[in-house]
Amino acid sequence: MDILSFGQLVVSGAFMGLVYALIAYGFQLTYATSRTTNFGQGELVTASALVALSITHLGLPYGLMLPCGLGFGALAGLAMERTAVRIALQEKSEGWIMLTIIVGLFIHSTCENIWGQADRPFPTPIPSEAFQVLGIAITPLELSVALGALGVMGLIELFKRRTLLGKAVQAVAADPEAAGLMGISARRAVMLSYALSGMVAALAGILVAPITTVGPPMASGLVLKAFSVAVVAGLDSGFGAILVGMFLGGLENLTSFLVGSGWRETPGLALLILTLAVRPNGLFGRAAIRKV
Amino acid sequence: MTPRTPILQVADLHGGYATAEVLGGVSLEVAKGTVVALLGANGAGKTTAMRLLSGLLRPARGTILLEGRPIQGLEAARIAALGLAHAPEGRRVFGPLTVEDNLLLGGYTRLPGIRGYREAAAADLEAAYHRFPRLRDRRWQLAGTLSGGEQQMLAIARALMARPRLLLLDEPSMGLAPVIVQEVYRALVQLRQEGTTLLLVEQFARTALEVADYAYVLERGRIAVHGTPAELERDPRVVQSYLG
Amino acid sequence: MRRFLFLRGAEALALALLAALPLAVHTPYALGLLTLLPIYGVLLIGLDVSVGYLGLINLGQVGFLGLGAYTAALLAIRLGWGLLASLAAASGAGLALGCLLALPALRLQGPPFALATLSFSALAATALNELEGLTGGARGLSFTHPACLGAALEPRAFFWLCLAVLALVWTAMRNLLAGHPGRAFEALRDSPIATDAMGVGSYRHKVAGFALGSALGSLAGGLYAFQFQHLQPQVFTHEFMAVLLLGVILGGRRSLWGALAGATVVVLLPNLLSVRPVFSVLAGAGLLASLVAGVRRLRRRTVDPFRALAPICATALLAAGALLARRTEDWRLAVFALILFAVVVGLPDGLMGFAARSLGGMLRVPPPPLPAPASLEQALPLRLPAPGAVLEVEELRRHFGGVKAVDGITFAIQDGAIHGLIGPNGSGKSTLVNVVSGLYPPSSGRVRLRGARANLPGLVAAARAGIARTFQNLELFGGLSVLDNVMVGLNSGFRQPLALTVAGLGEPGERRAQADALALLAFVGLEGQARERARDLPSGAQRFLELARALARRPSLLILDEPAAGLALPDVRRLIGMIRTIHQRGITVLLIEHHMDVVTELCHRVTVLDGGRLLAEGPPEAVKRDPRVLEAYLGLPGEPGNGEGTP
Repeated sequence: MDILSFGQLVVSGAFMGLVYALIAYGFQLTYATSRTTNFGQGELVTASALVALSITHLGLPYGLMLPCGLGFGALAGLAMERTAVRIALQEKSEGWIMLTIIVGLFIHSTCENIWGQADRPFPTPIPSEAFQVLGIAITPLELSVALGALGVMGLIELFKRRTLLGKAVQAVAADPEAAGLMGISARRAVMLSYALSGMVAALAGILVAPITTVGPPMASGLVLKAFSVAVVAGLDSGFGAILVGMFLGGLENLTSFLVGSGWRETPGLALLILTLAVRPNGLFGRAAIRKV
Repeated sequence: MTPRTPILQVADLHGGYATAEVLGGVSLEVAKGTVVALLGANGAGKTTAMRLLSGLLRPARGTILLEGRPIQGLEAARIAALGLAHAPEGRRVFGPLTVEDNLLLGGYTRLPGIRGYREAAAADLEAAYHRFPRLRDRRWQLAGTLSGGEQQMLAIARALMARPRLLLLDEPSMGLAPVIVQEVYRALVQLRQEGTTLLLVEQFARTALEVADYAYVLERGRIAVHGTPAELERDPRVVQSYLG
Repeated sequence: MRRFLFLRGAEALALALLAALPLAVHTPYALGLLTLLPIYGVLLIGLDVSVGYLGLINLGQVGFLGLGAYTAALLAIRLGWGLLASLAAASGAGLALGCLLALPALRLQGPPFALATLSFSALAATALNELEGLTGGARGLSFTHPACLGAALEPRAFFWLCLAVLALVWTAMRNLLAGHPGRAFEALRDSPIATDAMGVGSYRHKVAGFALGSALGSLAGGLYAFQFQHLQPQVFTHEFMAVLLLGVILGGRRSLWGALAGATVVVLLPNLLSVRPVFSVLAGAGLLASLVAGVRRLRRRTVDPFRALAPICATALLAAGALLARRTEDWRLAVFALILFAVVVGLPDGLMGFAARSLGGMLRVPPPPLPAPASLEQALPLRLPAPGAVLEVEELRRHFGGVKAVDGITFAIQDGAIHGLIGPNGSGKSTLVNVVSGLYPPSSGRVRLRGARANLPGLVAAARAGIARTFQNLELFGGLSVLDNVMVGLNSGFRQPLALTVAGLGEPGERRAQADALALLAFVGLEGQARERARDLPSGAQRFLELARALARRPSLLILDEPAAGLALPDVRRLIGMIRTIHQRGITVLLIEHHMDVVTELCHRVTVLDGGRLLAEGPPEAVKRDPRVLEAYLGLPGEPGNGEGTP
């Protein structure tokens, strides 16, 4: 295989990897404030994308569909927090793991029944002819994925660091009790993080849907990889997810081409288990200290 | 002597944890503009009392009035918004955030959330840095990298940013070298002169009594004795409590 | 109560009933369903080890099922192995793979663990699908099951074989869980730190438990393969996993009967769903039950309102679906999800837990009587202190971020002494003790226990080297009985071969351990409460229990972290007496305390810390009068204000 094909596989894969990074970012958002991750995140991605699809079928233009889809994602995130997470947090248990899985299953089944089991195409105003950069083909769709993912992550990071509200959320992540003493409600911070996480999931779904088509099978494939990215980068790491995501995307493409398309998933899964063996807190993560 | 209005009135406060009741009926008062010390041996219940006051713990019984308003059973964030600031035991600064961010967050209940908060807080920040020059030198440093004494100063300054009606200070000298404790207490004396109302929990009785206008001694969850520092220093039981 | 003791007779009765059933059943379809019961029973017992006993969310069991199935099938087809050999090999494969997966995955709790198991299942499914040459890929694998010991098995005989396997697994698990592995599992759920500090490697036990569960899953897989005689990778999906979790949680975690009940539900579920009237009735019954329970909880205000209302909503949705949905099979996953949600939130102990609570009074059998306590001399043999230091600490430093909790401390504890460690709050006492006992490594400097290498890596190593400790904030095994707490400490002292325990022959060893544990409980005055649950004891008694548990280790160095905290005066006197006796048995004691009278009465030597540094050291009377110590404890004379206060 020549260098150009190699480069093509890697670059296309890296763009896809940005979607994983975006979903992984959603995990990190909730983990930061509440030490929880939404195991039903994949279903939120799919459901939001399907809802967005239906909105376009109703005749709404893309520009209006986007905020509606994102709004749905945020609401779904809030619903997830209310039904599956809050009770476990209040009781300081890990019941949210099971509960988010369960709610995810429910959403999956509902989507299957409303929209059917097959994948559907997703319309987009963005042109699909590729243009060449240094001999490697890049489509405007892929570019939109990159811009969307990086843009949203950048915006949220800006919010976190530049506004007092954002700093308050960081404070809850660092020490929820002390934050409460400053008048910062930990519960509201968790709700906000879930709303943002849902919105991010919706964006990921809407961005990637034109490329991969939309449907219930979308969910499980995406979320496992996104989880790998989040854990390998470190659940509290932030930008590390982008690097790991792009790396994983490129690796997946290469594997699919060189070994066989059925083995696509393997590098991500193997990488996850390996990282857990060697660096349980992730490549960029921090270890916690036990206090007795 | 003009009668001072009480900022804080605590009546028959009971509270503790699932396994044991720590406070078994505590009553005390903090008058406006005074410094009140809460003393007692380790395990007597001082920190539990603070946590009950600031809302981190729910009282089993009793009332807590902040400027006449009942606050027992309210959430911590709510009580903070009502004007009670708590600099907790062990400092609890936000390690991953800078000194300045920690200070800004202290004013969370007063400042705008999205824009313009830096301008609104400018005067208070300046006052904080003036009070604790060491913090100015380190304003962009991450709070987790500060020394114990600097973290304590930060915790106090952070609590003050809320311009609280009442400041609860829990064991400010804990784990600090004597020289640093002196610095911290100089700041407390300054606060007292400025008219801040302060409830101070200390294991170092002598130091606390030098700053306080009034003191309560807690023993096994109850107030054993209370009075002005002069009265207490003459009481042999008080001296006894500190070696045992 | 953790264990719900049925009459042993009940197990035999159930076995006999099940064995007789094929005689009453006539269609092959019904026999097939019946055969699935013991298979799923074994599978769920395996899943219950990780989900119930270890408290982990294990999403990988379906992967082990698939791997076990294919292993057994391929060995039979390709290599011509017999039935029993294939099954044994499948279990072995499950055990090995389970270990391999658990070793990295169990280093962290919660979500990353669930993820790792989920990834494993996905990897397994991919491998099964892609390795077409070996497994036949998506097309599947068809075969007939091999002979068992030379004889071909007709369906009824195969059922009896599965039932025999279930009975064996059941007995082995019951014996295992009644012995020290079972105690270790429960202990490490309540307090992994204390478990390690007692020398029982919590990590090791978690890995072993997980691997055991995986082995059982693969064994069930082998039986599954031979039952269906056709395999396809698509079967082993996460939908199947959801069904398995439903079985374990609905049946009841940490319960063999619960696994059986859950298996029954799982076997009957597809049929229940497709027959609409049955489903509607069950959904309605569920709704009614949730309403009754929910209203009762709301009125009693015992739990958060969410726990009362959420199951009602879930079952209401279920009932609505039963009436309105066109085809209930299409909504299978949603149905599982709703049932799971209602059970996890509303009935977290499952059906067995509910049965135990409501019928417990009627069916509880009193446990066998305890043996007589051994003598203290036997439980705590006399130790002869050797001259010299038992513990040496050199230039020890430990920091957290910018805070220097321990800042260059050097001291030694003489063998056979009672050494006190005092200092104001925040002076570094607890951090020092945590470093010495192995909880944290030092940032620099050395800790050397006599006879061991410097800076022992971790709690378990320190415990094995002879250190035992109590904790300032109690770390008891709350869910275990008082007696069992001490028995965990004795764990390493009674190295009973595992095979004996599993075979149910561990009784004599267990009784000897009980006698020793009772001796220690008698020493601290708790032998009358031996069977009470540790978390129900008053806090003073809990402190004494921690002491007894630490003594069970027969340590050379006993570290007591504020043992008198919260004790009433008479108990403090008893504590002083106990520490004296411990000293007479030759055990070195490091005592951290604030109660100066305790320190003065007991300690030969006292070390005083302040701000992470050593302030003074010497006999207690001298230290008490040392001006620097007085200053540190009483506060500063002079600045600020005008206090001259000479101490």
